[in-house]
Parts: sequence; C-alpha cells; structure tokens
Amino acid sequence: MTFDPAYIILTTASLASIYGLLAIGISIIWSSLGMINMAHGFTFAFAGYGAWIAAHTLSASAPAVLLAGIAAGALSGLAIAGVAFIPLYDKPNFPLRSLIATLGISLLGAQALLYVFGPRVKALPRIFGYGRFHLFGIAITADKLGTIICAPVVLLAVLIWARTSRRGLQIRAMMQNPEGAALVGVGLRSTALAVMALTGGLAGLAAVLLSQTYYVSPYSGLTPLLKGMIVALAGGLGSIPGALIAAVCIGFVETLTAVTLGGKFVLITQFLFIIVVLLIRPRGIAGMLEQTRE
Amino acid sequence: MRDQPGLIDTEDAPRRLVGRRIYYRKLRTAGADRWRRLRYPFTRRTPLLLDSAFNPRTLVAERTIVDKRPLYWLAFFAVLAAAGPLAGDTLLGAATIFGIYAAINVIWLLVIGTAGIFSLATLAVVGTAAYGAAYMSIHAGLPWWGMIAVGPVFGLLFGVVIAIPATRIDGFYYALLTLGLTELCRVYVVQSQALGSATNGLYGADGILPDGASLRAQLVVSYYGAVVLLIAALALFRLVNGQRLGRLLRASPERREAFAQALGVDYRTARIKVFLISSAALGVVGGFYAVNFRGASPSLFSMDSLLLLLAMVVIGGIGRPEGAVLGTAIVVAIDRLLIGLGPLRLILVGLIMIGTVLFLHNGLVGIKQQFRNWRDRKRSEHRAKRDIRGGEYMPEEATEVRDKQLIAFRRFQRGVRESLKPLITDDLIEAHRRAPCGPHDDRLSRVLNYFRRASVVDKYAILAVRPFAEYRLVALSGQRGVPPRLIDDRSFATEEEAIHAVFLRRVQDLLES
Repeated sequence: MTFDPAYIILTTASLASIYGLLAIGISIIWSSLGMINMAHGFTFAFAGYGAWIAAHTLSASAPAVLLAGIAAGALSGLAIAGVAFIPLYDKPNFPLRSLIATLGISLLGAQALLYVFGPRVKALPRIFGYGRFHLFGIAITADKLGTIICAPVVLLAVLIWARTSRRGLQIRAMMQNPEGAALVGVGLRSTALAVMALTGGLAGLAAVLLSQTYYVSPYSGLTPLLKGMIVALAGGLGSIPGALIAAVCIGFVETLTAVTLGGKFVLITQFLFIIVVLLIRPRGIAGMLEQTRE
Repeated sequence: MRDQPGLIDTEDAPRRLVGRRIYYRKLRTAGADRWRRLRYPFTRRTPLLLDSAFNPRTLVAERTIVDKRPLYWLAFFAVLAAAGPLAGDTLLGAATIFGIYAAINVIWLLVIGTAGIFSLATLAVVGTAAYGAAYMSIHAGLPWWGMIAVGPVFGLLFGVVIAIPATRIDGFYYALLTLGLTELCRVYVVQSQALGSATNGLYGADGILPDGASLRAQLVVSYYGAVVLLIAALALFRLVNGQRLGRLLRASPERREAFAQALGVDYRTARIKVFLISSAALGVVGGFYAVNFRGASPSLFSMDSLLLLLAMVVIGGIGRPEGAVLGTAIVVAIDRLLIGLGPLRLILVGLIMIGTVLFLHNGLVGIKQQFRNWRDRKRSEHRAKRDIRGGEYMPEEATEVRDKQLIAFRRFQRGVRESLKPLITDDLIEAHRRAPCGPHDDRLSRVLNYFRRASVVDKYAILAVRPFAEYRLVALSGQRGVPPRLIDDRSFATEEEAIHAVFLRRVQDLLES
C-alpha cells in the first residue's frame, strides 16, 4: 500500500464518519441519561438485520434499506430505554445498574439474534452501486464515497435539529442539568425515549453504511461498539465536538497504522492513543467537568 | 448492622424497635458452657459468633448463633468434598468449571467489591497467565506445577499494566478501558501465529496426570484441584478484605477519595496493592486453567465470557463472597447442565441478569435484607393507616416508647373508659346527685371506682374555704410544694353539692376522652 496523503485523508474521512455516528450516540446518551449504553452494539447488529429483512422483503433500493436500518435502530433504542432506563432511573445506584442492564441486553440480544437468524452472516445489497470514482487522483469505491457523504449530512441535520427544535432544546437542557430540566417541566421519560430513538437511528445508519464493507452477523456490533466507546472516551463523554475531533483523530491513527504497520496493529495503536489521551486528560479531549453531570 | 440479642435489654445497647426484631433460634446452655467458645489457635478470634445471655422473662440461660454463615460455608465445603466420588462425569466437569470461575469471581470481588473499581480486565489477566503458562510448557517443557507457579508472574505483569491507569482514571472510563484491553488481547491472540491462531487456541501443555490416565481419574483430580483453588481464593478474600488493606480500600470508595485522603488513607498505594495481589492470584487461576484444559483458548478473552462472568457476580450480588459463589453456581449450572437448550441458555442467563438488576438491590444474597426492609415498610404503613389511638399513643409512635408496660397500661385504661361510657346516663347522674356519699348501685360504683383510681396529677379536690359554709373546686398539682389551683369561680354551700360538681366534671372529662 502506498503512502498517499489523498488516500489517507479519504479513508480517515470515511472511518471518522462511522465512528462519529456511533460515538456521538454513546456520548449523548451518557450526558443526557447518565448511563453508558453497552447495548449500542446490539442496536448496531439489530439495525443491520432490520435493513437486511427490508432489503429482502420490501425493496433493495438505497432509501428503503437506509430507512429500514434507521427505523430498526430507533426501535432497538426505544426497547433499551424501556428496559434499562425507565424502570431504573430513580432507583439507587442507577449508573452501575443501568450499565449492567445494558450489558445484559447486549448478551441477550446477540444470543437472540443468533437464535433467530442463525450463525451465518448476511450481506446487505450494495446500495451505492459498484462504481469507482476518481477523486484527487486516486480511485475510491462507491460505498466509501456514500459513507463520506451520507454520514456527515445526517449528522449535520441532527445537530441542526438539536440546535433549533423544541425537543433538541429539551435534550440539551437535560445534558446540562437533568434535575433542573425536570424542574422546569422537561419530561424525563419522553426525552429519554427521544434520545434513545435518535441515537439508535444514528447507530442504525452507521450499521447500514458499515455493512456495505462488512457482513451483518449477531456479533457484528461488538467492534463498532468498542471503537465508538474508544472515540467517545477519547473525546470526553458528553461532548459532541470532542467526539467529532476524537473520531477524526482515531480514524487517522487507524489509517496511518494500517498503511505503515499493517491491519493487525490497528487496535493496539488505537489503545495506546486513547491511554495516552486519558492519562494526560482523564476526562478526554473535551470532557465535561465532573460536577456538571453529577 | 449486626444486632446482638443478648444485649437487647441493657440500656445502652442499640435495640431494634418493636415489630422489627429478628427471630433467633435459642440454644440451651448451662453453667460455664456459656463462656466456652471455639477459637482459632493462638488467637482470641472465634469462627462462630455466639452470644450468651439470660432470658429476661424466664431467667433461663440461652445461647444464640448471631451469624450462621460459617455453618453454611462448612456444609457447602462438605458437599464439595463429598461430590468427587459421587457425582457423574457431566456434573463433575461442570463442578470443575464452577470451582475455577467461582475462584475467579471471588478474587475479582476484591477489585469491584472491596476496592470499588469496576475493572473488566479480570478474564484478560486469567487468559494472559493461561497463555503464558501454556506457551512455556509447550516450548520450554515446563511441568504442570511449574505452570501454576509461572502463572502469577504473568498475572503480576498484566496487573502492573492495568494498575497504572487505575490510579488516574476512574468509573466508566476505567471500565471501558479494561473492556477494550480485553478485546485487544482477543484480537492479538486470534491473529498471532505463535499463540495458535491456526488451531483456535494453544494446546498440548502438560497435565497433572500422565496422558494414559482414565477420563474419570482426570475429572476427579481436576475437580479437587478446582475445589482447592476455590478455598484458597476464599481464604485470600477473607485475608485481604477483612484485614487492614480491605479496610483502607473500603474507606476510600470512588468519589470519596479526598475524604479518605484527609483521614490519612493512602488510597493509591492501597489500590495498586490490591490490583497486584488480585492479578497474581488470578495468574494462579490462569496457570491452573492451562493445566486443567492442557492449554488455553481465545474464548477466555471473548465478550461473551466476560458478560457471563459479570452475570455471575451480578446475579449473586456484588460485595459478598457467598454471592459470587452462588451466582457462579447458577450461571454454570445453566450454561453447562442445560446444554440441550442451545443459544437459549445465554438468553436465559441474560434474562436472569436483567431481572436481578431491575428488581433486586444487591443480587440474591441481598434478598433477605431487601425482604425485611420491604416487610418493615409495609408493617409500618399498615400501622400508620390505623387511626384509632391504642391508648394514649398512636400505633406508629408506640414502637418508639421504651417502657412497653406503659403502652399496655394505657391501652387497658382506654378499654375501661370505653366500657364505662355507655353507663353514664341521666339516671345515673341523678342518682349521684341525690346521694353523693351513700351506698351506690353497681353501675355507679364502677364509675366512681374508676374516678378514684385516677392519677394525683390534676386530680380534682374540694377546698373547704369556710367549713360547712363555702366549698370550692381545686385541682391538685401532683408536685410536692406546689399548691393546688382553683379551677373556677363557683362556690358551693354544702359538701354534697361540691362532691357532685366534681363528679360532673369528671364525667365530662370521661365522655370527652
């Protein structure tokens, strides 16, 4: 593989798009609901299967598959909120209990997918076609280009929605101070459901986009979950700009490692990167101060 | 915390409120037996916490086992010891797995329970030690006891790696970091040629018995090895958790480090120590794992194994070794004995785990306390719902009164008043007016006897201002040196009139009460 700046930039952009989608979801859930959603990987896999079902029963066109993935992700997010947040949020020791509950969901969910769909992996249709494009002098596949275009557009739309809409205001209020938000009339449960549906939808989009390159399997959510966690941690839980910066950094580290050292060192260099970041800044690149959330 | 039944009736001991006492079975004892205790040699510590006291009501000497848990443990160990020759092959294999995982969980408890650090790298430590030991056995010809000896070295190395970030990173950040570390190990092991990526694991290490030994002999030896491992892990937990290091760690949970530091607790050193101790111990388990299975497999690092391990601890209850052992027994039984269910096993485990988190405060071992709290709350609600005063006290406040005789006395008085009220009629008052001092009929006698028994405080009396000419009503103060006070302006010409006026006032008080 050649050391080509344009290739590195494009690969970084495509990785950063997917990591950003996942990391922002994890980050928003943590800062607004106060729980670490370990079932995000299950949402990812569930959305992949949802898109696969839609592609086989409804239509294999790009909008149908994308929408089905997003809808399945949102549905899974709602289910997680119904099991791990709504019955638990006013109980003692909520953070640990919700963490365990989401881990339980991820254990249960992966096994349920395995039980229903079997261990054989599924391939999604190539929704962006098989074409190759030449950009900055290098060839780029259609799925990568689709990812680079699709993810930032959706992310931008979500961020604008969060800035302008009433529901977005409520979510941002809950991120700043959940008690204060509840005092001024923001419904904790309805906002939580909205947050979980939104982040689930983002994970569903990421699932469809990533499944253009990889297959859908019951355990396919694990690596994206871990990478999303790494990015969210490095960026600082609760910070959207931090997550975006970290997504770009981690994507860059991954590309650089893959180009110079080889694919199997990717996770190691990523870990070294995040350990260094956390040792220097224990709350991540743009992490919130502790008292803000507690 | 622990209540001591023998001390219940001394004044300064903390006592449980009425209705919230715990039932203890009493054992008979006599004479010097009351003081006899089983003690650990050369110490004054007792394995069984006994309490001897005289029953305040019957004055019989009684003995109470305040904490029965040592007896339960003893019974558990007896069952484990007896299971070797008795259990079938499948059960014995499952019991071996149970022993290994229970040992891992008990050691893990030192980190997540005692130190309160949510580390998820436990299986990674075990796996590293297992891989290291298996590798050295295959390539350097290390015998099985050497593998168990070299395990803690690898464990310790890994412990240093995970202890360094633990001094600076906490909470979720640390949990996710260790989770990632485990995944990193898995990816490395799966891809590494030297660690058996082609054979899905590293096999061919030395075992305790030679290759020709029968399957049954191997199973029994593995089983007893696992039991010894579990007992050693429990001893280690007791040693660390119950002694100085455990106290230091429990004094400095997360987010209270500053407070602990102000008390002079060096929590960083304590945390590093507990990480190193537990990692070395997990290394021993890893070495045993490699010996037991003649190698190591990447499934040790998989997310599912980690989640199962977490499920064991969570179902049992974090913080107590009996919880870890109980949870491990349940999960291993589901996982190994219900093989026919296929993937449904893990779904069942997941459901139990989520149910535990949703409905229980601290797993299965916390059920007793949770049930007691719930029952006390319900009883208290029930008492508070009754709006009739039982005597002078509301039922709810009656539990706070220390002299229970007072409650009984007032309840009795109330009953007497209730039975007297229907007797008061116009005829009765008229009969008293006609003959205040004379012989009375039965009903009036009852009423008057009740009046006569009243307490001296505020009791009505008659003051003869001018004998045979002017009488007035007073109320006694009930205190020596404090004179009676006049209660109204009326004065009566004869004593009989005054007696009847007192009678009327007391009837009024009775009917108003």
